[in-house]
Amino acid sequence: MKAVVLSLLVVLVAPVLQVAVVNGLALPGGGPDVVLVGVVALAPLLRPRAAGGGAGAFLGFAAGLAADIAPPADHTIGRLALVLCLAGWVCTRLTADATAGRRAAVAAAVALGATLAGGVLAALLDGTPWGTALAPGALAWTAGLAALVTGALALLPRRRSFGRVRGPRDRPRDPYAPGRRLA
Amino acid sequence: MRAAGRRTPVLLALVSVALIVADTLTPLDPLRAFGSAVFGGLEDAASAGVRWAPGQHRVAELEAENARLRAELLAARRVTSSPAPADGYRAVPAHVVGFGRDGTVTVDAGSEAGVARDMTVFDGNGLVGRVLRSGPGTATVQLATASGASIGARLEGSREVGLVTGVPERGLLRLSLLNASAEVKPGDRVVTLGSRDMRPYVPDVPIGAVVAVEPAPDALTRTALVRPFARFTALGLVTVVLGPLPDKSGPDKSGPDKAKGA
Repeated sequence: MKAVVLSLLVVLVAPVLQVAVVNGLALPGGGPDVVLVGVVALAPLLRPRAAGGGAGAFLGFAAGLAADIAPPADHTIGRLALVLCLAGWVCTRLTADATAGRRAAVAAAVALGATLAGGVLAALLDGTPWGTALAPGALAWTAGLAALVTGALALLPRRRSFGRVRGPRDRPRDPYAPGRRLA
Repeated sequence: MRAAGRRTPVLLALVSVALIVADTLTPLDPLRAFGSAVFGGLEDAASAGVRWAPGQHRVAELEAENARLRAELLAARRVTSSPAPADGYRAVPAHVVGFGRDGTVTVDAGSEAGVARDMTVFDGNGLVGRVLRSGPGTATVQLATASGASIGARLEGSREVGLVTGVPERGLLRLSLLNASAEVKPGDRVVTLGSRDMRPYVPDVPIGAVVAVEPAPDALTRTALVRPFARFTALGLVTVVLGPLPDKSGPDKSGPDKAKGA
């Protein structure tokens, strides 16, 4: 339930935050892609078996489609949906039971790959000049912020669960762990 | 279970590809209209929340008056004949509420305020761009520096006609004059040429000033780099030109001649 609410928040708020705040700041080098960071950071927190194993992919697709149609966007619809769908899927699969450091590393790598793939698609589909599509400043911002946010989120719930009675949400996670190793 | 774990992502990726193909073949306008209805409202609210102040109503009144005066000033600047009527423009003020990455911005005036596609947008400094599409409460504006933009233009002094296109990565514009032997030097002002029925561009809106004349390799056109007057990374209040004033459309024919004689 919490995951659904958080996903909805990323889908609705991240594109607005991107165009209304981040792009208006005129950060040196271009600024981060907040929607991508949101997907990459939230995907590891989703249960890998939820929604037929595609919870991360579904989150990425929805967020990407939202970013594709949120007003100032004037590129081919489906471009970001494709890239973020794959990014969300990879993140949920690779970081299911990993440490905070590994999650951050995977998030940075996925963010880097997704930004590059998105840039290539932008240049091919919409005729964006290669220099703008693959701007190194935006790459650095996105990868850095993705690693930071993912690492912070991975550390947060662990600390909180120390002071809490083990909730019913932690129990169904255990039986899956061996299954994942077999699979 | 493993097969099911892959089916959803693959299906979603295929849907994305289908969307890309469909949007390339025929623009998916209903989807974009839905997006501007949902996210346009959110952007508008976010931006209005930032701007919120006790005297908001008075500020809105002043902004509307400002837009009207600016449109009048724009009409008064026109001293030579051109195909469009010179009596004045109807205009609405709008705030830029979102900056896109495709050389576009969102403004908080939409079809409810009378904004439709191919209308001129300018601010206190100069030309901003044209309306690409409008939602109920917001509209998407293509900036003059966007890679797909091309604007009919002329030099203010010599009235030489040319075309201005975007050079997005440097924030500059490139002016190509049709007359290959035209005189152009740094500092010359460039204004819009004006389109038929004043859409997408009304005439004589200042665009920018020439900063460098490029050496002509082919000598078919004369090209120069133009620095735009409008600061595209710090846009705030802009004015959207809805059209000419309706009540004075009668004596159009004499308008330009009178202006010329004065």
